Amino acid sequence: MVSHAIPKTYAEALEILKDGTHRVVAGGTDMMVRNRAWAGLPPAFDKPLLFAFNLPELKYVRVDEKAIYIGSMTDLETLLHHEDTPSLLREVIGEMASPAIRYVSTLAGNIVNASPAADSLLALYALDAQIVLESVEGKRVLPIEKMILGPGKTVLDHDEIIAEIRMPKSSFTHTAFRKVGGRRADAITKVGFIGCAVVDDGIIRDLRLIFNAVAPTLVRVKSVEALHIGHAIEDVLDDIETITHHYAEHINPIDDQRSNRAYRKETALELARHFIKTLQ
Amino acid sequence: MSNIHHSVPKIDASEKISGRMAYVADIRIDGMLHAKTVRSTEAHARIRDIRVPTLPEGYYVIDHRDIPGKNVVKMIFEDWPVFAVDKVHHIGEPIMLVVGPDKRVVQTLVDAIEIDYEPLESVFSMTESVIHYHYDKGDAEAAFKEADRIIAHEYDTGYQEQAYIEPQGFIGTYEDDRIHLIGSIQAPYYVKNAVIETMACAPEDIRVVQATVGGAFGGKEEFPSLIGCQLAVALKKIKKPIKLIYEREEDMDTTTKRHPSKTRIEGAIKDGKITALRTHIGIDSGAFIGLSGVVLSRAIIASTSAYTVDNLDISGDVYKTNTVPNGAFRGFGAPQMIYAVEMFFHHVAKELGVDVHAFRLKHLAKQGDRTSTSGLFRDPILMPEMIERACAMSDYHRKRKAYADPNVYKGIGMSWFLHGCGFTGSGEAEHIKAKVTLEKLASGLVHLRVAAVDMGQGAKTTLMKVAAETLGLPLERIVYDNPDTDLVPDSGPTVASRTAMVVGGLIARAAARLKDEWNDGEHQTITEQYTQPEYMAWNQDTFTGDAYPAYSWGVNVVEVEVDKTTLEVQVKNIWSTYDVGKSLDDNIVIGQADGGTAQGVAYGYLEVMRHHRGKLLQKNMTDYVIPTAVDMAKTETELFDNPFAFGPYGAKGAGELTLVGGAPAVALAIEMAIGERVHSIPATPEYLMEVLKNAKR
Amino acid sequence: MQSVKFRLNGNPVTLKTDPTRRFLDVLREDLSHTGPKEGCGEGECGACAVLIDGHITNSCILPLGNVDGRDVMTIEGYRETERYRVLEEAYIAEGAVQCGICIPGMIIASESLLHHNPSPTDDEIRIGLSGNLCRCTGYNMIIRAIKRAAERGKGLW
Ligand SMILES: Cc1cc2nc3c(=O)[nH]c(=O)nc-3n(C[C@H](O)[C@H](O)[C@H](O)COP(=O)(O)OP(=O)(O)OC[C@H]3O[C@@H](n4cnc5c(N)ncnc54)[C@H](O)[C@@H]3O)c2cc1C
Ligand code: FES
Ligand code: FES
Repeated sequence: MVSHAIPKTYAEALEILKDGTHRVVAGGTDMMVRNRAWAGLPPAFDKPLLFAFNLPELKYVRVDEKAIYIGSMTDLETLLHHEDTPSLLREVIGEMASPAIRYVSTLAGNIVNASPAADSLLALYALDAQIVLESVEGKRVLPIEKMILGPGKTVLDHDEIIAEIRMPKSSFTHTAFRKVGGRRADAITKVGFIGCAVVDDGIIRDLRLIFNAVAPTLVRVKSVEALHIGHAIEDVLDDIETITHHYAEHINPIDDQRSNRAYRKETALELARHFIKTLQ
Repeated sequence: MSNIHHSVPKIDASEKISGRMAYVADIRIDGMLHAKTVRSTEAHARIRDIRVPTLPEGYYVIDHRDIPGKNVVKMIFEDWPVFAVDKVHHIGEPIMLVVGPDKRVVQTLVDAIEIDYEPLESVFSMTESVIHYHYDKGDAEAAFKEADRIIAHEYDTGYQEQAYIEPQGFIGTYEDDRIHLIGSIQAPYYVKNAVIETMACAPEDIRVVQATVGGAFGGKEEFPSLIGCQLAVALKKIKKPIKLIYEREEDMDTTTKRHPSKTRIEGAIKDGKITALRTHIGIDSGAFIGLSGVVLSRAIIASTSAYTVDNLDISGDVYKTNTVPNGAFRGFGAPQMIYAVEMFFHHVAKELGVDVHAFRLKHLAKQGDRTSTSGLFRDPILMPEMIERACAMSDYHRKRKAYADPNVYKGIGMSWFLHGCGFTGSGEAEHIKAKVTLEKLASGLVHLRVAAVDMGQGAKTTLMKVAAETLGLPLERIVYDNPDTDLVPDSGPTVASRTAMVVGGLIARAAARLKDEWNDGEHQTITEQYTQPEYMAWNQDTFTGDAYPAYSWGVNVVEVEVDKTTLEVQVKNIWSTYDVGKSLDDNIVIGQADGGTAQGVAYGYLEVMRHHRGKLLQKNMTDYVIPTAVDMAKTETELFDNPFAFGPYGAKGAGELTLVGGAPAVALAIEMAIGERVHSIPATPEYLMEVLKNAKR
Repeated sequence: MQSVKFRLNGNPVTLKTDPTRRFLDVLREDLSHTGPKEGCGEGECGACAVLIDGHITNSCILPLGNVDGRDVMTIEGYRETERYRVLEEAYIAEGAVQCGICIPGMIIASESLLHHNPSPTDDEIRIGLSGNLCRCTGYNMIIRAIKRAAERGKGLW
């Protein structure tokens, strides 16, 4: 019988993953809740676990002139206080869960969990994050939007682990982040938004609008963004309803125990409009 | 004047802080078994067949056939079965227990049990009345005839879940043919009396002990009787120790909650005053009536809140639906009604185009006025001073003007309210007949033998202070163990804000007698029994007379800011003034105030629970959102001394009062911020969006 | 079965048991540490909080396997420290304890907060406590207690 593994080194971990028999556990904050059983009984997992959270090789934050490189087992609280963490990502992490959860949860877990309401994904989409997947066969690097297929679905292979999250350095003249939850802290997102832009001399040079909890996966529509890049902010403002019109078809929220379709949709669009109005 | 209000260290604080205090889940008994409940998955259905797999040695199934006595949980209205028989009435209704040593096996058995249901038509709307109450004061009909104008409005409230942090649970043993239950409970004798009925046994066969309670708020008033009865049946059959602790989701899904309500108020206006009210409140009891009739009583009696209206035509119904049964929750029907009344007075003033504050002051109850049920407000009412003070503390009048600007998304709301202390009407004298005993040991230690439960509200500290102060002894000479029905008389349940006033009053009386009769070195026992103040006259059939021996009063001011884009509400500040008679410990009363206000305000804007065809949608602490430290605002609270002649050192009730004003205060603040009326709570962003949309139309 | 090794309140512990078990269950059932409580079992309430290498963590969703090699402190160990004594005095003086079920977790949160920020503002305290639900107190007295502890315990954190 294959049993749970607590490897001491990363190389050992990749070796164990080779046959696709194990499931990686990082902080476990998603997995332990999702698979929980009656108190006192162990959670029920479909596969033996590979405990990766304490692998020293995967706990790092490095930077060079081009990008920031985050080891996949770096906890969110460390990122929250790290001086090199991009400020948008920092802002988002600051509104995720609570300190007790942040000390033991990871970006990688948030990515593979692939919840429509996942918060860090807002920043990862906005910052054009690249995900480094590794197996004994080697590495592949994917942009975040290629990584995620749908709710709970990613392209991660059975023998792979997320090794690193990379984000190219970027700078914006305007950024905005809003998480709307059921309360002001430790809440699951009802609707979330990040906007970032570079406006130079009244001309939009870069524009990125990302929404979460309004569709099966995060919404970032580069074709719509491109329509506005290179245009004068005045023109875009005159035509602001067109932007919201473009997004309306991508924003398809649901009614659930946390909110409803109408609220999510209108709030998402309103947040986008509001952001664009601040670009002046 | 006594200095009893000065705070002392709470008697059990150190044990709780250090993690040494044992709650029921912390208790382990060698050889104990674990029980898990098998529940209905249907809202309303006939049970056609139940297939139980072959049970391994040492595993048991317990159901209605094992009940020696009545298959009903004894509480006020006896319609609640211990185990379902051939029909289920709500999702989550208990059908049987599976009991055994290994949780894994128990769980497997629970999962393997197959139940065939034949679905029956379910009722989810408030249409089937099972209790109807009505009362009059003055001549409402005439007042409506003479009115210049009649204004009517409707108000809705949703569920509220107690969300105590410790889920429900019991552990029980069977020794010497006696059933011994230890549980997280508010009312040891409710559990004991219920178990006696179910087991058809003698009172001495049952012993109920309260374990330290990790929060209750009414949720552990009547519901634990159900679990206690089920466990007793299992103990009798299996004769081994059994533990039954609810999971959080199970607790949320199946335990009682605050009744959702719909209230319609019609007011007759004459010469700028409300001369009559015609009010109807409907509350949703869920599948069983339980305490709903008593909840309805309190709701209808609160029909004028802190105001006096001379002519009333008040009625209410309890409606049965195929949903989780609702029950006691701090405030007990009053929060629903007081919210509606406060909104109504505001809405009427606005429609009349008069100053809201002045309009409300005109109606404020005064000493000597007749209560809603034509009783008398005998004691001084300090509301004018309390209101003025709350206005000053909060800078209410300036802010109210500043926030009237439609471009300012800020608001300030003020609620005025009262809470009747103790049981409604003659409940205390006729049903409870509370007794307390002081037992002085030869060593000079004095034991308080009372059934009152400290569930965090500080009952132990408060009652010990009353005894110590009266006896002139240091606190260390007083002993107050968790109640054990083998040792304490029935001093009643720990509910209805009665503990300090009623139980405390009896302790003060007993202590005074003990002091008089004190004999060093002698073992002495003093018992006192409740007698109703002579002035109380109550007719339960007509709802007339003095519904309560005394009233506590309060004012809440809540300031909010609403986000223009997302309509999220942020509570910025909360100010309160209270008259609880005499505070028996300032830290404890202010702690009650902080916690009660947090619950009351959150009821008004934050806490959402709904069901879809009988299935609750918010099923855990992630989905059912209660305030975190970031959501809760800073509070400033002042207490006004107004000693009540029959309370110990002048104390009245404080526990529930602090909850009832929160919802209207926050709803009124939100109303001011968005410039549109709120008719439904919780006033969530989703609801506010709807309100604003409808207003535009 | 692989064994899991960690330090618990300063003492080495080695356990041969299923590493997917909730650390809370291991503490309460195998090691008789019942100071951490179960309020929700889903990481939401903080009643089960413990310190792992000095940081607050909810033990109800912490798999035992992740504790391997780490340094764990529960309320049982923490209550033997000078910092605890300062916190206990402050919680009592401010009347911060009602039913008490959340309080061991609150103490752990207080320690984790003060350890990283010895003189927090009100808002920082609120954020520090945001994963610890209390249904009784409305938090204000707990916040005052932490401020008091920060003042009286100057130099300890
Ligand atoms: C109380 C509470 C509050 C929360 N609040 C928020 C919130 O505000 N916002 C939010 O977005 N989320 C929230 N979450 C969800 C969760 O904490 C996050 O999704 C977190 O980022 C998950 O990280 P983890 O390391 O714990 O993941 P785990 O549970 O360890 O793993 C999650 C999934 O990712 C896989 N995985 C993890 N790491 C790797 C890797 N390196 N390679 C391959 N696969 C991997 C696992 O196999 C699993 O399928 C909350 C959870 C709880 C319990
Ligand atoms: S029990 Fe662990 S967070 Fe609630
Ligand atoms: S004191 Fe009861 S939950 Fe905090």
